[in-house]
Amino acid sequence: MRRSERDTTSSGRTLAWVERYRIFLLFAVIFVFMSVFAPRFFNVFNLTSILRMVAMNATVAIGFTIVLICAQLDLSIGTVITFAGVVGLSLKEPLGYALSVPIAIAAGAMVGLFNGVLVAKAKISSFIVTLGTLTILQGAIYTITGGNTISLSTPDAFAVSDFLAGPLIPLITPRILLMLGLVAAFELFLRRTRTGRNFYLVGGNRNTAWLAGINTDRYLIAAFVLSGTLAAIGGVFFAMESSAATLRMGDQSLMYVISATIIGGTAMTGGKGGVFRSFVAVLALEMLYTGVILFGLGNEVKIFIAGLILAAVVLYEAYAYYRHQREIGKRPELIRELAAGTTRAHAAVDAASDGAGGKA
Amino acid sequence: MATAEMKPIDVPDARYLRSSRFSRIVNVAGIYGIAVLFIIAGAVLQGLGVINNFMTTRNFLNIIDAVALLGIVAAGMAFVTYSGHYADLSVPTTMALTGIVTVELLHYGFVPAVLAGLAVGLLIGAVNAVVVGRFRANPIIWTLAMSYVTMGVIRLVWVNRQIYPDVQTDNLRTIALFDGIFRLRLFNVVSLPVLLMILIMLAGHFLMTRTVYGAQLKLTGSARRTATFSGVNAERVVGIAFLLAAFTAAVGGLIITSLSRVGAWYNGTGYEFRAVTAVVIGGVTLAGGRGTIIGVIGGAFVIGLMNNIMTLIGIGTFSQDMIRGAIFILVVGINAKSLRSLGRDDA
Repeated sequence: MRRSERDTTSSGRTLAWVERYRIFLLFAVIFVFMSVFAPRFFNVFNLTSILRMVAMNATVAIGFTIVLICAQLDLSIGTVITFAGVVGLSLKEPLGYALSVPIAIAAGAMVGLFNGVLVAKAKISSFIVTLGTLTILQGAIYTITGGNTISLSTPDAFAVSDFLAGPLIPLITPRILLMLGLVAAFELFLRRTRTGRNFYLVGGNRNTAWLAGINTDRYLIAAFVLSGTLAAIGGVFFAMESSAATLRMGDQSLMYVISATIIGGTAMTGGKGGVFRSFVAVLALEMLYTGVILFGLGNEVKIFIAGLILAAVVLYEAYAYYRHQREIGKRPELIRELAAGTTRAHAAVDAASDGAGGKA
Repeated sequence: MATAEMKPIDVPDARYLRSSRFSRIVNVAGIYGIAVLFIIAGAVLQGLGVINNFMTTRNFLNIIDAVALLGIVAAGMAFVTYSGHYADLSVPTTMALTGIVTVELLHYGFVPAVLAGLAVGLLIGAVNAVVVGRFRANPIIWTLAMSYVTMGVIRLVWVNRQIYPDVQTDNLRTIALFDGIFRLRLFNVVSLPVLLMILIMLAGHFLMTRTVYGAQLKLTGSARRTATFSGVNAERVVGIAFLLAAFTAAVGGLIITSLSRVGAWYNGTGYEFRAVTAVVIGGVTLAGGRGTIIGVIGGAFVIGLMNNIMTLIGIGTFSQDMIRGAIFILVVGINAKSLRSLGRDDA
């Protein structure tokens, strides 16, 4: 990290280390604190339930992180979740899950393609495009469902639901396994393959990436398609597990996923962050929420704490950047020389060149 | 010699001359061109007998009444967008908190309660101003976090309660005054929100086009670095933009609370995105430094016009959403394309 190169003092190095691994530290602190203090927190049942609760949002966060790495924003993920759930379940009766689930996921991918093409080719801001898709999908969801919750109560739907919710081994249900698999796959893809790493280049500096021979438009479109696809996967499997798709099932996810991704260290300016970090952040947030509820505190405390944590992280990052900006170009040693007067400045220059010579 | 070769400033550059006539018309007519198109469409539909009562004074007054609140909130939001900071997502909770505080304090009298409500709104704006203006936090994420915190405070203090004016102890005249914020009509025609919208629009337009602050805001919005190097205090300029957004949100909060006669956490839900829609349709670009307040009010008017026509045709609320979203993307897309073809693209 740049900061660790600049700060050579040991406290500076510690700070840089904390900064770099802050999400893992946060996770560890919350986990240990809740395990020790929160009643009924540390047991297989509760931990499984936490994992089951994050399964959807963690899957969605993968795609959102990729979009953010590309320095874009996807506000439509919440409605894509609901849309996929509604499509998957409403087509189950005529077609069966074997067809309806792929159709639902493809629908999510199409939404992503729509977003991506408008952002990359028509050059409309992603904030606008995805805000528009959000509105369109909201209308589509209500038109498909007529405003009612879709719930399936056939034996085979329940069988699928039981399969998805039942543990294969302790802590791991099929849906959790799917989430872990996707997180691992995309983490490796982004870190270890050339295509994956190119996403960081495109997000870091689009012009440089283009000059380096990367088809930036294609990467932007791909990011949105992945975001749509993963949101749809998260949504449709969640709906299958509960055998129901409500009209507002994805509403909370947008804010949740944005918070987690930012807390996880993915920057909105692009080119920085990672899927695994977002996953850990989603997990940490969910543990915190569960803990708050286990302490007997209400939903309002949960909202308040979520806000404070996000605010603290954003404030810290902004302040660090602010300090950094103020120090750029400043030459403290020159100012010190001026303050000390010309004669002693000469001595200082001599001393400095001696020091440099000594090191060399 | 050199001066003779210099190009006079008002001669358009080559890209402008090559641009299509369509782009130039879009650029000049702006959102009011679209408004005229919608009105023509409505008139034609009425002529064909598809809809009734569209081209009446009553109907147009209704449309303006319906968008007054949105227009007010959008006018403040426009300053944030204009300064190159996308949007203030803490607007809905600012509206809710302003309303709750005002209703809660009504027994101290109408004026103190309203002032306290506005002050609370401005306090949220001040926090945004410091954090986004000075420390340059990402505006979307920060205002989102701010809305969480505000919502948390509302839920902690008032839980899920709806706050009614207390008829037992409060002065009935005070309550009547508060109800009147939304319901008062001057000369039986112009409602107070519409009047406020017009006042805010004129004041905003004046501020943006005729004052030093407006010029500094334009420079900061289009090129912050250049502004800083020219001696503009960009931190302060952006901060004031967030204060203005919080102020209009607080005024909007008073109106929406007066409309529903109850202060509640859900008042104002959705107004952040609605306001952004009006702002952006109205021609203020997200890149900053481009657009006008009058255009933003036009954007709010077009949204009202669109809703009115669709409701008169009998399109369901949910299908309206789909059409609205599509038109939103389309209008902004055409706008961006027009700017690009004129060589004025900075996004």
